[in-house]
Amino acid sequence: MRERWQDEAWAQNFWWRGQTTRRKFLGLSAAAAGALGGAMLVPAPWREAFGQAKPYKIGVLQPLTGAAAAGGKTALVGTQLAADRINKAGGINGRPLELVIADYESKPDVGRRKAEKLVVEDKVDIGEGGYLSNVCLACMPVFEEQKTVFMIGVCLDTTITTTNCSRYVFRPFDYAPSQAVAFAPYIVSKMAKKWHVVYLDYAWGQSTRDAYVAEIKKSGGEVTGTTGIPLGTADMTAFISKITGNFDGLFAIMFGANAVTFTTQAYDLGLLKKARYAGDGAVAESTHLAALGQKVEGFVGVNRYIPILTKPLDTPYHKKFFEESKVLLKKMDPSGPDPDRYVQSNFEAMNFLKLGIQKSGFRGREDTMKLIEALEGMEVKEGDDFPQGDKTLRKEDHQAFLRQFIFDIHERKHRLLDVVAKEKTIVPPACTFPKA
Amino acid sequence: MIPLDQVLVQIVNGLVNGMILALVASGLTLIFGIMDIVNFAHGDLFMLGAYVGTTAFLTTGNFWIALLASVLTMALLGAVLQATALRPLLGRDPLTTILATFGLSLIIQNYALWQYGPVPRKINEPITGHFQLFYVEYPWYRLLIAVMSAAIIGGLYLFMKYGKHGIWIRATTQDRVMAAAMGIPVPWVHTVVFAIGAGMAAASGVLFGPTVGINHAMGFDFTLRAFVVVVVGGMGNLGGSILASIFISLLESLAAIWVSPAQAVIVSFVALILTLLIRPTGLFVPTPK
Repeated sequence: MRERWQDEAWAQNFWWRGQTTRRKFLGLSAAAAGALGGAMLVPAPWREAFGQAKPYKIGVLQPLTGAAAAGGKTALVGTQLAADRINKAGGINGRPLELVIADYESKPDVGRRKAEKLVVEDKVDIGEGGYLSNVCLACMPVFEEQKTVFMIGVCLDTTITTTNCSRYVFRPFDYAPSQAVAFAPYIVSKMAKKWHVVYLDYAWGQSTRDAYVAEIKKSGGEVTGTTGIPLGTADMTAFISKITGNFDGLFAIMFGANAVTFTTQAYDLGLLKKARYAGDGAVAESTHLAALGQKVEGFVGVNRYIPILTKPLDTPYHKKFFEESKVLLKKMDPSGPDPDRYVQSNFEAMNFLKLGIQKSGFRGREDTMKLIEALEGMEVKEGDDFPQGDKTLRKEDHQAFLRQFIFDIHERKHRLLDVVAKEKTIVPPACTFPKA
Repeated sequence: MIPLDQVLVQIVNGLVNGMILALVASGLTLIFGIMDIVNFAHGDLFMLGAYVGTTAFLTTGNFWIALLASVLTMALLGAVLQATALRPLLGRDPLTTILATFGLSLIIQNYALWQYGPVPRKINEPITGHFQLFYVEYPWYRLLIAVMSAAIIGGLYLFMKYGKHGIWIRATTQDRVMAAAMGIPVPWVHTVVFAIGAGMAAASGVLFGPTVGINHAMGFDFTLRAFVVVVVGGMGNLGGSILASIFISLLESLAAIWVSPAQAVIVSFVALILTLLIRPTGLFVPTPK
């Protein structure tokens, strides 16, 4: 054996000798540069329709890689669908939307860095997106410092619109206290009195746990214990086998692959036979129903959106949203899942921005305060832009209120059990905006 | 006073989890033992193996064919990866190979995300049913995973001990230069070992697949734990890694009786630090005479 690996016969033959010549390398480089240049010269799709009109730059933050990539990619579908529709309809105030998409790799530190880049270097007019609550919380100060509106598309951590609220941040969909007010009376009166709550042990899971524990107690139920499971735990049996005690309902606060793992392993260990199974609607999102299989059968949940086309979601605008989303989702995932709440809330977040920009005459970041004032207290009606239903974006905390759907999983599909009107989901504001 | 049934349940859990971990770690330690490569992509081979298993399962509807197809496919991929990405780096600074395998890890993760999409996948277990283990209904399938893991590791042991090519591998592990001098094709032994490691990662991915939602990020948790096990068991020591897997899993399971399982993981890191401080060659490596 030779001292240097390069001197080995196999290395000489395999890797170096005559395989890559300078001419070949230069030729390949020129071809690659040509392809890249060609791609850069192709105008953006909105250019032809809008001529030289300056686009509104929307900075979209999503986890497109890492542990939360599944949700982030789905969420992005909603944003893109809304932007496509807006641009096809002539843009906003005659100007197209341009999405500047940033992948924050499911990491809060990367999220903050990407948010800074979007606002400072890319000079976006508005921020949109989110998904992971800890990332939203990490990015909010950036938008506040840079006096830029951040329209959240998914993050559900309660404190975003309570103790950590910001004048520059809006949440145009529900949050845990609203869901808990809507759902707790149902589960206590119709499913079980004593509950054990299992949650993902990070910002969203913890704040949602607190909301449900409070509301289950208010509704006359009892919480006999809680179990936190770290995000991304591959094997949850150590946690599940510790869930003992006197309870007849198991309440799960999970999403994505974590929800699949928890449900599968809780079923395998017989926990779902002992207790009724309920939880946040994210446990049984349409995107992972196939992976859950029959083990999630009978699960009862609450969600702002479920992919059904029966009353009250049998409207033409919901059908249109549903079908257009399916096309984009099929491109994202070959299995072609139905749209979920992440698609819906990002789609509607973009439409809130559209209305806000139209109403305020927003031209760019110099008009941020006008945009904020236009969005504050905005009431929207069910329609093409808001297929989920009517909404109120409360002025005091920038929190939206909307109807909730209580459903169960029956024959591997969502089945609507009850609709809770948005008026019944309202909880008092708990926000004091920091002074500008 | 801790109820005895809780202790026994945790012991069974620890043993079963230990066997799953042993299967992942044995591939990792085999690769390190022979090539001195710390393979950061091992967890991703585990993940990709599970995905390949889902494809084969959807095509054939048979779990065992899916397992075999995944092992063979991933072994082939492992051989290709070793020949193209790692073989040229042989003998260089270990940091170079670490960076290369880290790069492979990112490539495999993003490939899985692109190829299979972000939606979690499922592979059905070949056997269902439970037996009563004190206060929990324990699935037979988890015991089957442990038995299958033991069988695969046992097969590897027999191959290494008695097979002609196994003897080549052991000879190369002991002294690469002398093995080459004796006519053993060392570069090909390296490729075959990497293929075996990838195949074992795939086997563990498919076996573990029915208990989780298969996703592109599922390998990370296992990579981290497998590295702890490999260090505690002795880098490159196959038997040591198996014992360390069971030891660490039992420690974590028993610690979980008193603290949250999330905190119980700390125990394995304490074991790792103590091993590095007191016995850096590994807890289960015989003391040189």
